[in-house]
Amino acid sequence: MKNSWDKLIQGIREKDIRAMARLITRVENREDGWKTAMTEIYPLTGKARVFGITGSPGAGKSTLTCEIARELADRGHTVGIIAVDPSSPFSGGALLGDRLRMQQIFTIKEIYIRSMATRGMLGGLCQAARDVIRIMDAFGKDVILIETVGVGQDEIEIVKTADRVMVVCIPGMGDGIQAIKAGVMEIADLYVINKADKPGADEVEADIQAMLSLSSDLECVAPPVLQTSALKKQGILELVSALLENPADTKKQKVKEEIRIKEEILSLMEREVFRQVRSVWENEGSLLDSVSQVMQKTSDPYTIVKQMLLNHKHR
Amino acid sequence: MNQKRKIRVLVAKPGLDGHERGAHVVAYGLRDAGFEVIYTGLRQTTEQIVNAAIQEDVDVIGLSILSGAHVSLTRKVLDELKNQKAEDIMVIVGGIVPSEDIRDLKEMGVREVFTAGTPISAISDFIESAIPAD
Amino acid sequence: MAEDNKYLEKIKTQQKEWEENVLQKRVKRFNLKESPTKFYSPLSTIKNDFCEKVGFPGQYPYTSGNNPFDFWRAYAGDAAKMGYRPDWGGAGGVGKYGGFGTAEDYRDYLIRMHSMGRTGGPNMAFDLVTQCGYDSDSPFADGEVGRVGVAIDTFRDFATIYEPYTGALEIDKVPSNFTINAPAAIIIAMYAVLADKRGVPLNKLKGTPQNDILKEFIARGTYIFPPKPSLRLFRDTCVFCTQLMPELNINSMGGYHIREAGASRVQDLAFSMANAAAYLQTGIDGGLAVDLFAPKFTFNAFGGSMEIYPEIAFQRAARRIYARMLKERFHAKNPRSMLIRQPITAHIGCSSTTLQRPLNNLTRAVVGGMAAGMSGGMPGAFPPFDEPMGLGHSQEAVQLQLDATRILIYEAKVSDVNDPWAGSYFMESLTDEIEEQTIAEMEKIENMGGAVAAIENGYMQKAIAKSSYQKQRKIDKQEEFVIGVNCYTGQNEINVNVNREVEASYDPELMKSAEKRQKEKLSRLKRERDNTTVHSLLSTLRQHAKDEAVNLMPDICKCVENDVSLQEICDVFREVFGEFQQAKL
Ligand SMILES: Nc1nc2c(ncn2[C@@H]2O[C@H](COP(=O)(O)OP(=O)(O)OP(=O)(O)O)[C@@H](O)[C@H]2O)c(=O)[nH]1
Ligand SMILES: [Mg+2]
Repeated sequence: MKNSWDKLIQGIREKDIRAMARLITRVENREDGWKTAMTEIYPLTGKARVFGITGSPGAGKSTLTCEIARELADRGHTVGIIAVDPSSPFSGGALLGDRLRMQQIFTIKEIYIRSMATRGMLGGLCQAARDVIRIMDAFGKDVILIETVGVGQDEIEIVKTADRVMVVCIPGMGDGIQAIKAGVMEIADLYVINKADKPGADEVEADIQAMLSLSSDLECVAPPVLQTSALKKQGILELVSALLENPADTKKQKVKEEIRIKEEILSLMEREVFRQVRSVWENEGSLLDSVSQVMQKTSDPYTIVKQMLLNHKHR
Repeated sequence: MNQKRKIRVLVAKPGLDGHERGAHVVAYGLRDAGFEVIYTGLRQTTEQIVNAAIQEDVDVIGLSILSGAHVSLTRKVLDELKNQKAEDIMVIVGGIVPSEDIRDLKEMGVREVFTAGTPISAISDFIESAIPAD
Repeated sequence: MAEDNKYLEKIKTQQKEWEENVLQKRVKRFNLKESPTKFYSPLSTIKNDFCEKVGFPGQYPYTSGNNPFDFWRAYAGDAAKMGYRPDWGGAGGVGKYGGFGTAEDYRDYLIRMHSMGRTGGPNMAFDLVTQCGYDSDSPFADGEVGRVGVAIDTFRDFATIYEPYTGALEIDKVPSNFTINAPAAIIIAMYAVLADKRGVPLNKLKGTPQNDILKEFIARGTYIFPPKPSLRLFRDTCVFCTQLMPELNINSMGGYHIREAGASRVQDLAFSMANAAAYLQTGIDGGLAVDLFAPKFTFNAFGGSMEIYPEIAFQRAARRIYARMLKERFHAKNPRSMLIRQPITAHIGCSSTTLQRPLNNLTRAVVGGMAAGMSGGMPGAFPPFDEPMGLGHSQEAVQLQLDATRILIYEAKVSDVNDPWAGSYFMESLTDEIEEQTIAEMEKIENMGGAVAAIENGYMQKAIAKSSYQKQRKIDKQEEFVIGVNCYTGQNEINVNVNREVEASYDPELMKSAEKRQKEKLSRLKRERDNTTVHSLLSTLRQHAKDEAVNLMPDICKCVENDVSLQEICDVFREVFGEFQQAKL
């Protein structure tokens, strides 16, 4: 091992960027010892604010993320960015291109950018994203931005790990409405109509407002709707201020936090149990046996699972 | 669930040369060979390239240069890597490189040079064999 | 008519019978899924009205050629007797393309070349620093000054290059070429100011600036500003040239670069046409009548593959599409507006050449020359075989290239027939096919909002990137064959080594010291010039740049005249227009 876990964790305490980068790689790769490492890192976390940025492909999320990060850095914040792009389902490789839109902030010391591929992990991406956020948090980044394309359920799940989520819409082609229909509505804490330099931004805003007024229950405050042009650097100040503002509804935040922790524990548990059971099955070859039993029609998947769980319990 | 270790590659174009064909082909090709490829676009300064490589914790930096300035641009990248104590990151170069320059580049510390038209599998095979699978 | 129908019926019956009994039998015998070759009969072209689709050479829709015969063809015999070398310039021509080092270095080089027989005006390559709108003292310039072309920071550099161009070589007598795009307005302004200072009437100036910024976004990458303000600058040059320098070509649009960037044949043609349409519309929006400026549009050679048949069809389709577009969409009346004016037609493109067994590139270039000769151009064998070696062209390679062209013209007599494929069932149907696909692609772009929109949203860039990847994959998977690269590479194949002595055109020592000398010169100038004027000119420029309606050329001319540098002008535009940001793949 080139660098032991301990050394890397010590590294992030000393604000060594390479240590953070390596730590992220190893945790993302789920290398042996990652959970112990995360346990050690956990106490160092809790200070960062995490903002999710989602929306349809090409809405300008990366460009916006770049501008937000720059503004945050200007205001004295240290920023971590996680830019998620899909892995190829065929090769498992990925072409991570969000960074291309952030060239101008590559060399700002306060900003750390990390591209992340979805790696086809069923739901596992969420946990990996949480872990990466924590590593950045532990390093001392006080704002963390996570960009995902708001298309798949997986991506939507990731932004849920954020404290606040902004949904990016654009004028024209009914995109505002589409985004809402795609089920991102319940996760939006803030709507941003980007590319407001193009005609039609007001119409989208009206559409969104109309949607919100239809569905909002009276108890909670409707999420703000803002217009920006990431390209022309307009509306960024207001957006950053709105993001940093304490959520009006602290009670709602607390509930959200509880849900989040619960979900994380459950999902970690689920994966851990699954992993344990599976590794036993695989090591003992009984999984393959079972498959052939089903193939030969001497058993069925339901019975097999029941049997296997029983065996596992008795170990 | 132990993931197979993913190799991460930064494809970068230093200098002002704007011919992206090679960079695009290599980026797509390495993705389809199972690598995670980060492409940062045109006109990257040495500092931008090295910072990106460090932040992304890539195993390899692939520089694509077709302006003929490969020796000076590559040297700058290698110097900056040393400067930021990241000289362990492997550097490969692609482009139109005369054979005398290939020798010079390798002496400077470039691990391999791929001239235009190299099959992508030759590049991906090289990377796979050169990166220790730890 | 009834006769015709009977005739076609007969062919139809016979074709069917042939396909079933003769062709299929053979296909089966060789265990194939389908025939590896094609055959075309009159059935392939029954829809074709010759007059409407092909026409006579020099007549609408120009499918069979721009002219009944070309200028060079008229005097081909004389040229041979005189030993005319096109690479050295000549009557009405520009000399060999080039440029390096500082303006002084390039000037001295040109003087030497002229003493050796070069004729014609400068044909300038600019270094990347200049092409990207920076000065030699910019951090971006580090290592790139004077490398792939000459460094131009200020008007004084530009004027230095022209020092030898007086008398018989005065700028109203010889044309100049400027391979410059994003800062084209500035170079054109320098040319105008130079003429002004010399008392040469602007309307006598000849030459061609490349001035094709749209293809930079999709193919060559030396853009600066976003597409829209870039087109505004194009508009300003287009109006300025049309009104004051009517002899100057306005642009030289690149299909070639688009293909070299990896575009497919149809993408190349469709994107070039979409770009041309955007320029035409820009001129019209600038208040010009189409027939006033469209005749001054040029193209810099379409093409770029070894596939000889489709490349010929491509040229024919291109002429027809462009002519129709000008006539039907832009309501041009002047036939000269409707022509694709380009120095060469079909050719193989540098990306068809191979580093492996490089002498094969001569064979390849000859094939390209054949395609050119059969598609309405001079049968130019291009490029020299040592192109992919990246060391400059050797004298032998250049001689072989020129001789190949001459052999095609004089011995093979390739150029004795206009559009020799006209009426071929096969070629006409292939031309139709390329035309149809191109028009479909053009419509797609039109529906997005035209070339600018298709660049802003990254459509063209992504399409080209994907095509180039597919091409490479086909070669890697041996679905396409490249001799000496992915086949015939066995032990018995040998590398034919050739003696190659590179023309020592550019002094390597000068190239090495160019950056330092250029920087010193610039800093001296920046100290000595009237900086108050510079300041006030820049602030006027800024003001006017913000007003879309203003033509910026007069301001740029004033700046140039007062030693404002290229980057200082570009920086003002950067500030007002912003910079182009690439789309992700
Ligand atoms: N007109 C306009 N264009 C914008 C704006 N913001 C971004 N764009 C353009 O929109 C395109 C996509 O921008 P990105 O930032 O890559 O969008 P994205 O949402 O991150 O895209 P994906 O990551 O591919 O989903 C680019 O061409 C940007 O230049 C804006 O405010 N106005
Ligand atoms: Mg993005």
